[in-house]
Formats: sequence, C-alpha cells, structure tokens
Amino acid sequence: MFVPMLNDAPGKTDERRGFLQAVTAGLGALLGAIVTLPGVALLVHPLRKDTVDGGKDPLDVGASEKQVKPGEPVMVDVRGELKDAWMRTPDVKLGACWLVREKENDPVKAFSTVCPHLGCGIDWAAKKNQFLCACHNTYFDLQGKVLEGPSPRGMDELDVKLSPEGRLKVAYRRFRIGSAKKEVV
Amino acid sequence: MSSPASRSKVQQLISWIEDRTGLPSLLDSFMNAPLPGGASVWRALGNTALLLVGLEFLTGVLMAFYYSPSAAAAWASTAFIEDQLWFGSLIRGVHSFGSVALIVVAGLHLLQVALFGAYKKPRETNWIVGLLALLVLLGFALSGYGLPWDQSGYWAKLVETSIVSTTPVVGPMLDTIVKGGSQYGHYTVVHFYAVHVFVLPAVLSLLVTLYIYLGRRHKTPPPWWMNEATVLARTEPYFPGQALRDLSMFAISLGIVVAFVVLKKGAPLEPPADPTSNYVARPEWYAIPLYQLRMYMEGPLEIVATMIIPSIIGAVVFALPFLDRSISRSPAKRPMVMFGITSGLVVTAVLSTIFVRKDANDEPFQKERLKVAAESIHVRELAKRGVLPSGGIDVYKNDPQYEVLSLYKEKCGNCHGLNGQGGDEGPEFFDYNSRAWIAGFLKDPQGRLYMGPAKKAKGMKPVEGTPEELAALTEMVYAETGAPDVKKELVKKAKDGDLFAEKDCDSCHYIDEGDKALGNTGPNLFQRGTVDYVARLIDAPDHELMYGEKAKMPGFKGKLTPEQVHQLAVVLVGLKRPTAAAAP
Repeated sequence: MFVPMLNDAPGKTDERRGFLQAVTAGLGALLGAIVTLPGVALLVHPLRKDTVDGGKDPLDVGASEKQVKPGEPVMVDVRGELKDAWMRTPDVKLGACWLVREKENDPVKAFSTVCPHLGCGIDWAAKKNQFLCACHNTYFDLQGKVLEGPSPRGMDELDVKLSPEGRLKVAYRRFRIGSAKKEVV
Repeated sequence: MSSPASRSKVQQLISWIEDRTGLPSLLDSFMNAPLPGGASVWRALGNTALLLVGLEFLTGVLMAFYYSPSAAAAWASTAFIEDQLWFGSLIRGVHSFGSVALIVVAGLHLLQVALFGAYKKPRETNWIVGLLALLVLLGFALSGYGLPWDQSGYWAKLVETSIVSTTPVVGPMLDTIVKGGSQYGHYTVVHFYAVHVFVLPAVLSLLVTLYIYLGRRHKTPPPWWMNEATVLARTEPYFPGQALRDLSMFAISLGIVVAFVVLKKGAPLEPPADPTSNYVARPEWYAIPLYQLRMYMEGPLEIVATMIIPSIIGAVVFALPFLDRSISRSPAKRPMVMFGITSGLVVTAVLSTIFVRKDANDEPFQKERLKVAAESIHVRELAKRGVLPSGGIDVYKNDPQYEVLSLYKEKCGNCHGLNGQGGDEGPEFFDYNSRAWIAGFLKDPQGRLYMGPAKKAKGMKPVEGTPEELAALTEMVYAETGAPDVKKELVKKAKDGDLFAEKDCDSCHYIDEGDKALGNTGPNLFQRGTVDYVARLIDAPDHELMYGEKAKMPGFKGKLTPEQVHQLAVVLVGLKRPTAAAAP
C-alpha cells in the first residue's frame, strides 16, 4: 500500500474500506502508468530513429587529387545538406578531414579530424611530421596509426571517391568516441 | 502482500522519514482529512482539475524537449513533434485537448462552488484565489495557442494583441512589450513561450498551493441540504472514498481527451503563419461569446465588448462573496445569485450558438476551412523533408512545383495573371481549363481576364447566342482539354446543331481532329488545354496552328529547355487557385 496509514480508525466496515483502498491505489497506479509511458516513448525517440542526417554520400571537398602532395596533409571542410530534426540546411559544414598521400602515386586517403579518444580536433604537427591531438597528446602517423598517447584506436578513415575530372569526394561520417572499435554513429 | 519482517522494515523506514521530515504524517493528514458530509462527485471536480493541471505540466514539459521557440523554428518543430516524433501527436494532442478539459472542469468546479454557496464567510479568499487560478488557466490557453505559429495561432494572437493595443493610454506600449518589438517576430514567439512555460506555471503553482492550503484550513462545507446530524454521520476520510471519485473522474476526462485526439487525428496544426495571407481568423473557443458580443458593437463601442463588459463581469464575479452576504447557502434563498449565474450561462450559450450557426451556414467560410485543412496536410508532408533555416512559409520551397512557379513568375508573370486578378498584357491562367474560364472568354474575349490586356488590333468578337447555345459551345471547347467530367450530350448537341459554324467560329478556328494540321487566323482549338497544346503554345505562339503572325507573345523555344516548358505546361493546365504562399 502506498499510503502509510498511521492512525487507521477502527470501524465496522474495515473490510470494504480495505477493498476500496486497494482499488483506489490500483487505479492511481494504472493512471500514473498510462500517462507516463507515452512520455518515456517520446523521450527515447532519438534511440529509435536518428534526428540528424547528413553527408553520407560522397561530397566534393573542393580539392583535386593533384593538390595533395606526398607527406603534406591538407585539411578540408566537408560541406553538404544536413537534416537536423525539423530543419534542412542545404549547404552547411558537416565536418573536416585530412587528405593524405603517403608516397608519390599512392591514392589519396581521408581521415576525420575528430580524435577517437574524446572528440577533440586533430592537428598536423609539421615539425614532427605527425598528426597530433593536443588535448591529450595523442600522436598519429601518416597512415593514421597511434604512435603514442591515450587514443584507443587510430584516426578514422573516410571513404574517398574520385570524380571523372579527378576531384576528391569524401563521404563524411562520425564514429563512436572512446572505443577501440571503429563504429559509425 | 508482504511478510511481517519486511513490513516492519518498511515501517522502520517510514518512521525514519517521519522523524526527519514529517512528510508521512503530512500525507496521512491529507488522506485522512475528514470530509464533512462524506465523499461526493461534486467534490471531485476541483481535484480532477488539479490532476489535469498535472497532466498539462507533464505533457508540456515533454514537448519542451522537442519544441523550439522562434518565428523561424516554432512551426517546423511543432510539425516535427506532430508528424515525426514517436508518440508526439498523442502527447501534443493530450496537451491541447487536455487544456480544454482542464478549463471546462475548473469552470464547473467554480460553478459548483457558486451554486453550493461555498464562497461564503470565511471562504471569501478561497473563491478569489480559485478565480485567479482560472484566469491563469486562460492565460495558459492564450499564450499556448500561438506557440505552434501556424495560421490559426498567428492570426488569433494578432487580433488579441491588437485588442491590447487599443487599451486607453498604455495600449501601444503594452502591445510593443508583448510583441517584443514593433511587429511580430522571433521575440513574439519567445515572449509567449516564456510566459507559457516559466511565468504562468510558477504563478499557478503558487495559487494552487494557496488554494489547497485554504481548502484545508476551512474544509469544504457540506451540502446545504444536509442537517448537522447527517453531516456528522456521513463524514469520512478523503481516502479512499473521495480519492476513488477523483481518480475516476480524471480517468473519464482523460478518456474523453484521448478519444478527441484519436478522432481528430491529433491537435490541429494549420499551415505556417503567413503574414500576407487573407486568413479568416476565429477566436479560441472560450472567447467565442465575447467575439460574438463584439459583433454588435462597432466603432467606439468596440472597447465596450472587448474590455468594459468583461471587466464589469469579472469584478462582479470576484466580489460575489461580498455581494451575497446571506447566511444560507441554499440556492433557493439566494435568488439574485442564481439569476445572475443562470442569465450568464444563457447569454453565453445564446452568443455561442449564434456564432456556431452563422459559421456553419457561411458557405465561403466553410470552403475556406476545407481548403486550409487540405493545405495543412500538403504542407506538413512537405515539412517531413526538413524546413529551411528561414523556416515558416519557406517550407513551400520543398514543393517540386515551387521551382516551376518561380520560373513562371520570372518568364510569364510580367504579362499573365495567376491569381485571378488578370494579367498586364496577356490572359489570366487561374482556372484556365475550367468551364467558367472558357464561357467567360466566349462571352467577352476582350475582357480583363482574357485577351483584353493584350490589346490586339483585330481580336475575337464576343459570341452571341442563347445561354444553352453558349453552354454547349463551352462544353465543346472544354471537351478538348480531355477533362474526365465532360458532358457528352452537350458536346453532341453542339456538334448536331453545327454551332461551331453557325456562330462563325469556323471562319478563324478549327477544332475537329480531321483539321488538326490546318492553320487559320485564330488558334487551332483541337486538344486545346492539354499539356501538349500548352507546351506548343509556349514554344511558338507564332506557329501557324496558334496565333501565327498575329502573336504578341515571344516564343520560348530555345530559351527554356523542353523539360522546363513541359513542367510549366503541366502547372498551367492544372492550375487551381494557388495559396498566396505557394506563389513565390
């Protein structure tokens, strides 16, 4: 019983009163559940269906293959249409990536600038010829592998497509932060 | 249910809490509060209103997780809640219809207090606090109605703030503060929002707490018809008798509210606020009597209906405990009060009935409503793609027709009409394929809506004949559009009577399939009004099958792609009256 009856008055209709109490408390609990459950459903909507959607298709990043020189990563923005809840923005910055070419004639790779450790932005430390996330000092090599520091995995590689004119297109994605496994979110 | 050992554990815990907070005994004092005269359905009204307030708080907070207040985002985020959010339509519907239930139940509660004379000494303050709470509920309804920033909300608020602005002396100032600027904008929505979700809930919580406190202090008086012995004999604690009635009444109210949500497919959400539309605003339901009253007061009298009468009624109602000083609570012994309540209810009912019947018999208004309803469905479908950041009516840019209409405006709009007003240098396209357009053309080819603006030297002359002949001829031309509802017997009548030749149409036009390749001084009317025909006309008006060398309109072949011409033709042949917002 949810009501602590401290001074229950003794009476002749105790049994009926007990039954009524149970019915009333039950009705209260039922109504509470009826009005609460749809509310819970409403709150967990984002678990059921994502409210943010954008950049899954390869998008022109405004650079051609030739512009990426071996050993000199370039950071470019990935812009495209973003659907965020009720809003559709046709041209918005979805994120950024590093375009990397290890050696002459290697294909250009793209790495997300988001550090897999805790989501800071990864920079290029030109002096060391390494990528650096300066928030918690993780160093990555040109292939995105962790050299030292706390990041649980290497830099996240993004899919790159070449247009017939040799322009680079990147499919921008975000990945789960803080896990050793690379997992799209 | 529970073993003695665990029972004693629970009791230990309760005593622990009791020693430190006193909350269990407080709860206990509520549950065991003696009700003089016993539990009754009448008494359930007030508590049901309280439970409905709780329901409104709950659903309101839930929506606050997804709603965004600003003129650009309000409509789009509401449409998201309504059409895309899991259980969003239910929660919003319960909030919306629940507010109606709440005001009705709270109103009935106060009516019951008045009927039972429960406002009498020493309960004058209960009455005043209760009335203030009801006013706050109306404030909730007023501020909440504008939050979706749809057509009905926008225009209702616009009228109301305009009423505010007519307040003597301080009106314009108040109006600017409420709007948050000289005109409607982001701050108007944000202000309504702040009032709705911060100010009013705080004020209502205070008033409700005070009301409960005063109710406990003075206890609900027993009904007037019970003598003291009966009152004593029937007196019982609040729980469970009254609690069961309260919960049952709440359950019934909730059931009715949910039934409304289901039947009406959620709370209404009209197209986004369009400040340039000719929307016919109607008041919210609780303001209908005042609205109807205003209908009888024009000009300087307007303020009598909008402010003076409501203020006088309000003052009298608030002062009721001080005006009715008789000792007896029996309605029979308070004829003036009963008369006041009855006449108030009758006047309200009469005014509301006049309003409802007038609107129900107003055919253009009903048609307009249907159009708005159809438009709502269309525009909410468009919103599912996401609304541009500029928000509101820019949702129409999601419409595939939008680009075509933009093209129309750029290439055709300078000469041709699209909204029924007629063009500057060419014919009107609104309802171009309707019988009305064709009949109008035959009667007066050089009229404002037809070739008049083109100012041709040797234009077509009006066709003269009996109404039957004109109808048959109209149907004959109409049949060429390929419409599904052609009246074949009329066309046959026209052909049998050889009206086309008799009315001398054939000296300039051809219409039969056999003549489809023949040019004349006027357009060849075979399949006039089909997409292919209109596309050919757009491409080359000076083609020998069209206007030939008499054409004033430039051809668009080469200036527009075939695809663009086709899309324009599709839009033009199907063009019904577009909404102001859909036409860029």
